[in-house]
Amino acid sequence: MKALNLNEIKTLEYKRPEIDRGYANQTLYVNVSETDIAIKPVSEDMKQTFVGGKGFDLWLLWQAVSAETGWQDPENTICIASGPMGGTPSYPGSGKSIVTAISPLTGSVIDSNVGGYFGPYLKFSGFDAMEIQGNADKEIVIYIDGVEEKITMFEAADLPQDSYGISSQLTSHFGGDKLRGISVVSTGPGAKHTLMGCLNFTWYDPKRKHVRYKQAGRGGLGTVFAHKNVKAIVARWENVTMDGNKPADKDAMKTVAKSYSKEIVTLDPKQNEMAKIGTTHLVPIMNDFDLLPTHNFKFGQHKMAGLIGKEAYKDIFDPGFDGCWMGCTVACSHGIKNFIPLTGPYKGQHVFVDGPEYETIAGCGSNLGIFDPYTIAELNFYCDAYGMDTISVGTSIGFVMECFENGVINETDTGGLDLKFGNRDAALETVHQMGRGEGFGAVVGQGVRNMKAQFVAKYGGDEAFLNDIGMESKGLEFSEYMTKESLAQQGGYGMALKGPQHDEAWLIFLDMVHNYMPTFEQKAEALHWFPMFRTWFGLCGLCKLPWNDIVPEDNKDSEEPAKVMKHVDWYAQYFSAVTGRKAEPDDLIAISEKVYNFQRIFNLKMGFGTREHDAIPYRAMGPVTEEEYESRQERYDGQLKDEHGEDIEGKSTAEKVATLRKLREEKYETLKDAVYARRGWTPEGIPTLSTVKRLGIDFPDVVELLAQNGVTA
Amino acid sequence: MIRLDDDQIPWHDGMTVADVLASVPDGRQYAVITVNGRYVSRPAFEHYLIPDNAEIRLIPMIAGG
Repeated sequence: MKALNLNEIKTLEYKRPEIDRGYANQTLYVNVSETDIAIKPVSEDMKQTFVGGKGFDLWLLWQAVSAETGWQDPENTICIASGPMGGTPSYPGSGKSIVTAISPLTGSVIDSNVGGYFGPYLKFSGFDAMEIQGNADKEIVIYIDGVEEKITMFEAADLPQDSYGISSQLTSHFGGDKLRGISVVSTGPGAKHTLMGCLNFTWYDPKRKHVRYKQAGRGGLGTVFAHKNVKAIVARWENVTMDGNKPADKDAMKTVAKSYSKEIVTLDPKQNEMAKIGTTHLVPIMNDFDLLPTHNFKFGQHKMAGLIGKEAYKDIFDPGFDGCWMGCTVACSHGIKNFIPLTGPYKGQHVFVDGPEYETIAGCGSNLGIFDPYTIAELNFYCDAYGMDTISVGTSIGFVMECFENGVINETDTGGLDLKFGNRDAALETVHQMGRGEGFGAVVGQGVRNMKAQFVAKYGGDEAFLNDIGMESKGLEFSEYMTKESLAQQGGYGMALKGPQHDEAWLIFLDMVHNYMPTFEQKAEALHWFPMFRTWFGLCGLCKLPWNDIVPEDNKDSEEPAKVMKHVDWYAQYFSAVTGRKAEPDDLIAISEKVYNFQRIFNLKMGFGTREHDAIPYRAMGPVTEEEYESRQERYDGQLKDEHGEDIEGKSTAEKVATLRKLREEKYETLKDAVYARRGWTPEGIPTLSTVKRLGIDFPDVVELLAQNGVTA
Repeated sequence: MIRLDDDQIPWHDGMTVADVLASVPDGRQYAVITVNGRYVSRPAFEHYLIPDNAEIRLIPMIAGG
C-alpha cells in the first residue's frame, strides 16, 4: 500500500445491512463542515414514490436546501445514488450512478448520470444514496469501506491536483492487492476555477492495469465538490455477484438478463458495433443529416467530418471489451492507450485517454472547427484530468470563437489567443487556462450565460445577437445536436428539466428524418412518453443505451417501433424481478411521472420552473445570420413558400430570415402549450394541483409552493 | 451477388442503395445502412453505387442518442 499523507479525523463504524430486493434501506450523510457522519433510514414510502437513484437524490436534496440556497452555500448537498437494479453484473448497463446538487450554472437542481463502479459499491457497502453537505476548510477524503464496515473522513495533503493522478493514487493506496475493489469519485483544478466542473467516477481496468473513469459531466457538479473542499470519495467493495441485490425473484432476473445480454452480443456487431467503436458512429450519421454541430451550431455538416468519426477512432482506440460496469455487453467505454499529449502538464508522457465519445468529438471537435482526432483526444484528456465537462467546454469555446470571428472580442480581450474556428493550439491553450483559472480561460469557464452578460457590459457586444448565438438554456450549455429542423427536439432541449441535455428526449430522427410526429399533439405525446421513460433509467441505476441503441430485429414490425417495446417489457420484468413490485411497461411511465413532476416543482422552489425558463436561443430554432440562411437557401425558401405559403419573391435574405424566425418562434410557443397540457401542467408550465394529487406527490410543502405560484386546482 | 443482412440478392451494374431498399418490403423506413462497414445515409441513397459482393446492413436507428 502506497503511503499517502492522509490524516484520519473522524470514523464511524457501522453494521452493514443485508441488501433486500435491490435496497440497503438506509442512506449515508456526511457533513464536511461539522465533521459529522450519520446514517438515515429509507422508508417504504420513499421507495414507493421515488424508487431510488435520481428520485432518492432529489428527495434528499429537497429537504437539505431552501429556496434561498445558492450553489456555494454549505447546505447545498451533493447527492449520489445508484438504484435498486444498480450493481447487477449481468444485465447490460446496470452500473449507473446519478448525482444531484444545486448547480453553479443554472442556480437550480442539476442531475447527471455516470458509469463506473462507485454507485454499486456504495450500495453494497450499505447505502442506497449518500449526501455530502457543508464546506470544509481543509481538503477532505471520504472513505466508505464496505468490507471493514467503516466510514472515515481524512484530512488530505499532498494529493495530486488533477483527477487523473488523484484517482490513480487513491486506488493504489486503498486497494492493496485488490484494486478492482476500489472506486473513486474526484475532480480536478478546473472544477475549482470554472463553473462547469465534472466528477470522475472510476473503475480499475485489470487488463490494462489502469484506473479508468467516466464523468458526471453536466451542470458543474465538480465545481460544487471542489468548493466543498472534498478531494475525493472512495468506496471499497469486493464481492459482486448476481445475487448481490438479493432480487425478489432471482430466476426471473437471470432469465431476462440472459435474454438481453444474448441479444446485444448477437445484434451489436450487425448494427452499430458499439462494443468496438463506442458512440463514434454517430459522427458520420449526424453529419450526413446536417445535425453535427459545426462552428458554434451554425451549420450541421462539414466536409472534413469523416476525419473524426468511427473510421478514425476504430483504429485509434485500444481494442478490448470495455464496459464501465461488470458484465455489460454493450461495452462502449473505449479509450486510447499510450497517448502522448503535445501540451500541458502531461506533455510528452504516455497517458490513457478515456474516450472520446460522440458528445466530446462534436463539442470539442466539429463545433470548434477542429477535425483532428488527436487534438480532440487531447482536449478530452485534459478536460477529464482538470475535472471539466467536455460538453460545456466545447459549447462555450464555440461561442467565444464565433464572438471572436465577429469582432465582439479581439486578441487584446483574449490575452493574445487567436480564437478563430479551427485553431487547435488556441483551443488547447484555452482549456489549460480554464484548468488553471488564468487568463481568458477563466472567462470562458464562467459559461455561456455569464459570458453573454460580460461581453455586452465589457465589450459592447450586441445583446440580441449574443442571445441568439449563445447556446445555453436555463444557464446550461447545449449538448451536441443540431435542432433547427426538428421542432420536437427543440422542445426536447428547451423543456428538459435541467437544461438542454439530450438524455430526456432525443427525437430528431423520429421527427425530422422519419416524420413520425407531424402534429403538435403527436410531438407533445412524444415529449411526454420519452422523457418519462428515460427518467426511469436514472431511478433504477441503469444506462439507457441498451434500450434503443441496439434494436431487436423484429422491432420494425412492432406497433410502436420508436419505443422498442420488447425491451421496455424486459425492463418491466427486470424491475419486478429485483424489487418484487409487479410492473407492466405502462407502470414504468407512471413511476417516472412522480419524480419528473417533483423535479419540475423543485425548479419552481428554486425560482425557476416556469414557461419563461423553457426558452431557447434562436440558433437552436433557425438561421440567425444571412450566412446561415444562404447556406441552406433552397431548404428555407422551400419551407417559406410550400409550408407557410409566404410570397418571398423579391424579398432580401434579411427579410426572409425575419419571416422564418417569426414563424418558427410561434411554432415553439405552440409546442410548449401542447406539451404542458399533455403533462398536466398549467399554461405557465407548472404542474397543476390535480396532477400532483394524482401522482401522490401532494406533500404539504409542495401544495403550499404551488399555491404561492397561483396554482390551486 | 450482394449480401443484405442474412440474405443474398442479385447485383447489377449501377445498383444504388435506393435500388436495394426498393427491393425490401419495409425499405422505406431505413435512414441509415452500412455498405461494407461504411455508413450511408438517406441523403445519399439515390446516388450511392453498390459494388458487387458488397455486404449491406440495415441499421434500425430511430430514437437513440
